[in-house]
Amino acid sequence: MANQLILDLALPPPTYAREDFVLADGNREALAWIDRWPDWPAPALSLNGPSGCGKTHLGRIWAVRSHAVVMEGSDLVGKSVADLTDLAAATPAILVEEAQRAPERGLFHLYNLMRERGGFLLLISPEPPARWSIVLPDLASRLRAAPAVSVSPPDDELLGSIILKQLADRQLHAGAGVVQYLVSHMERSAEAARHVVAALDRRALTERREIDRRLAADVLADLAGAS
Amino acid sequence: MNKIQAPFKGDNNATYEMNTVAGADMEEMAGRKELEAHWVRVCDRLRKEIGDKAFKTWFGEVELGELKAGKLRLYAPTRFVRDWVGRHYGDRVLAYWQSVNAEVKNVEVNLVPPPAPRRPNEIIAMPPVPSSQNSHQPPMPRMGPSIGRGADEISQTPEARYTFNNFVVGKPNEFAYAAARNISEQDMPLPERNPLYIFGGVGLGKTHLMHAIWHVIRERDPKTRVLYLTAESFVNRFIQALRTKNTGQFKELFRNVDVLMVDDVQFICGKEASQDEFFFTFNSLVEQNKQIILSSEKPPSELQDIEERMRSRLGSGLVADIHSSTYELRLSILQTKAENARVPVPVNVLEFLAHKISTNIRELEGALNRVVAHGQLIGREITVEMAQDVLHDLLRQADRKVTVDEIQQRVAAHYNIKLAEMSSPRRARSVARPRQVAMYLAKQLTTLSLPQIGKRFGNRDHTTVMHAVRKIEELKVSDHSIAEDVELLKRQLQG
Repeated sequence: MANQLILDLALPPPTYAREDFVLADGNREALAWIDRWPDWPAPALSLNGPSGCGKTHLGRIWAVRSHAVVMEGSDLVGKSVADLTDLAAATPAILVEEAQRAPERGLFHLYNLMRERGGFLLLISPEPPARWSIVLPDLASRLRAAPAVSVSPPDDELLGSIILKQLADRQLHAGAGVVQYLVSHMERSAEAARHVVAALDRRALTERREIDRRLAADVLADLAGAS
Repeated sequence: MNKIQAPFKGDNNATYEMNTVAGADMEEMAGRKELEAHWVRVCDRLRKEIGDKAFKTWFGEVELGELKAGKLRLYAPTRFVRDWVGRHYGDRVLAYWQSVNAEVKNVEVNLVPPPAPRRPNEIIAMPPVPSSQNSHQPPMPRMGPSIGRGADEISQTPEARYTFNNFVVGKPNEFAYAAARNISEQDMPLPERNPLYIFGGVGLGKTHLMHAIWHVIRERDPKTRVLYLTAESFVNRFIQALRTKNTGQFKELFRNVDVLMVDDVQFICGKEASQDEFFFTFNSLVEQNKQIILSSEKPPSELQDIEERMRSRLGSGLVADIHSSTYELRLSILQTKAENARVPVPVNVLEFLAHKISTNIRELEGALNRVVAHGQLIGREITVEMAQDVLHDLLRQADRKVTVDEIQQRVAAHYNIKLAEMSSPRRARSVARPRQVAMYLAKQLTTLSLPQIGKRFGNRDHTTVMHAVRKIEELKVSDHSIAEDVELLKRQLQG
């Protein structure tokens, strides 16, 4: 095999610092809500949007500020009220990723416990809670009353910035022309940007090529063929 | 070294301190004004040189700092913007500054310090929320005996905003309101009104009334011992007490209570041991002539999995119901809340909310909170369209995934042209313009790449799509009717 063996480290560990967040129209309000904490009108806030739009990054910014415990919705499966009470007593803030996977009763108890204590929940999910199919009316009503803010898929400028950030995370450089080319030729989602940059990196390394428009075109053709 | 600097890669804290003009004397204030005027001129020139779009992207969030010993500081919102501005625009920024202010010897771009947490409720002036609700403080010390692991704290004070004054009365809730008021004013419980049992759907104000009674009792005699807890908390405590064989402590909790309030009592149903214990507690308090106040989603007669003796006990006092809200009540609640918000909310927006969010009061208030907060956070005027956008998740079952086919069909129908014209080579304005609108919408409403979009419009090149998008963006600004068409089509397509 002519190709050099490349260890696919997939994506480099993303940096979730606030100063690395790329602000754009589609996420401005979400960041404003995060910054506004703890001045939230309810004990919970929902942050929702398609995959790769920056929800996790926003969540981590909040978690750092609020010293939140970070967990996934499915972590609540099988937890007794006593477990949840201990959890709520241990922290004033909880970040729940994939919150739509949380069992209803568990989330309901946790919501009430956090409210009683003046604590907060940040619920991250692809869809807003109003669109989850919740059976427990008390939970549905509480979550529907809490603010829900959507993070939109990136516009061209944001997409360009995301590509640049992804490149920078991998210590790669590409001219403005390459970024422009990618923005106008690729699927317009942050998720796609991640894949494209990962593929660029891999291919540049195995084929020892510069990251230029031609490589970008090859990578996009490759990805289009694979999908 | 006359060069712009991004001075602290990996060292963010070193330059976080930011001079403020607070406390500065008049002379300094005048100097500040002058500096700001210079910054405006620098920005104007930058905008002219690099174009509106790039300016907005890179300088839109950059803030003017201070000028000290020839060093001018700017603050960038992110590390990325800081580095980019430094690397790509550094020389220009310095040159422009020097052309308006000879004192500037170099320019430094720093990271803006993260915002200090705001004081709770700084923005929305809704009725005050109690301190336990809004402060990021360690939990309050427990009241009375603690019952080991898993025992949650019991609120010691009613929620500040849940007063009778803040309860908006209308036909659906006037009886429950009158009953609650009456109970709160009694010095001694009347047997025929004990317990007070308030029932009604989720989010209609049962908890609000219980807390309101609590407020009145506390004001009259702060020594009166009120114990408010949810039925779940009761069950949880009881189970823990059984587990730790500490039921004595559990019973102690209720022994010296003057008023017992249990919220959402339906959660005790079906839990036999807890139900028995509750029955026992209930009876012993009634015998001591202590007031009991209960809330539930259902009347006693409709509670399931409950013993008959319990059912008749629950219904033996005053039973008051809260019906689903009416449009008038909802509007009146919104008006009251809106008066407390610092931002004016137009009447048609309140009417829109009262009309659309009819499920319950909790959600109605939540919706108003969201609209007001959005207006404040984004600085957007509160209108019906804005409310529709902000509450899209509540108002629509799902944001529809729009396809290019749908866009083409809808646009063709709107402009009354044949669907085939979307992919035809004809370039007459009557078909080219609608086609451009459709391409623009395809870019806005789908995640397809531009080449993919071009393909769907008669195999056109992606540069044609780019041109169409730019054209419609321009026309939206200069031609009001195009802007309206695009908005209308967008709304129709998104359902």
